[in-house]
Amino acid sequence: MAKKTRIKAKEKKGITTVKALSKHAMLSYAEAKSQKKEANFITSIVATVDDKVVYEVSTSQFLSKDPFMQFKFKGANKGKTLVFTWTDLKGTKRTDKAKIK
Amino acid sequence: MGLGAAAVMLPSTLSAVNFRETNKSAFEGPKSHTVDDAMKELYGTSKTTVGKVKLKAPDIAENGAVVPLQVSSDLAGKTVAIFQDANPESLVAVYTVPADGIIDYKLRIKMAKTGTVTAVVQDGTTLFSASKMVKVTAGGCGG
Repeated sequence: MAKKTRIKAKEKKGITTVKALSKHAMLSYAEAKSQKKEANFITSIVATVDDKVVYEVSTSQFLSKDPFMQFKFKGANKGKTLVFTWTDLKGTKRTDKAKIK
Repeated sequence: MGLGAAAVMLPSTLSAVNFRETNKSAFEGPKSHTVDDAMKELYGTSKTTVGKVKLKAPDIAENGAVVPLQVSSDLAGKTVAIFQDANPESLVAVYTVPADGIIDYKLRIKMAKTGTVTAVVQDGTTLFSASKMVKVTAGGCGG
């Protein structure tokens, strides 16, 4: 289930743009019921650089399957590592890293 | 045992606010069904000032399973919340904007039917919002 998140992080003029594509079924309660599966979806995502939070979101069941996210932040340089972690309803965690280019 | 260990570990993450824990009623339960109620549960009010927030969404979404959204604003907001009125519960996501964060978020959401997407940026005590109607021709919530 917990597959790698594809991350691209690019710095330009002091602003880092991150695109992330997580692998997750994101089964909402209604979908899970019709498929006779257990609902499970990503409930929170945190991204950090040098232990500093640069992105934080609490999410619900209505993100699309394999959710895509894009966000921007200031103050990171090329070569730094972006750490991207999601947690789902069942408590599964997945952390992936990407170098800022 | 396993569950208890996980619960103990959670506070050690860097996450400042998990809105699913602090404002659970905005995500699930009887008060989460309408945008108004969910906003009240989250912010204590559903009064918003329209403007200063840009919300990009398609006019017509052929596939309700993937509706791309973009929220951006020049405000120095603390949180950004996204609501819609097409699904059983209205709150989609709450962002905490970090010190170096820029309010320019893209995400993809599911919509069961045609509805209005509302993005709210909290700046101090004021809520700024933008709304857009998205026409969904094929539902995406498996309903």
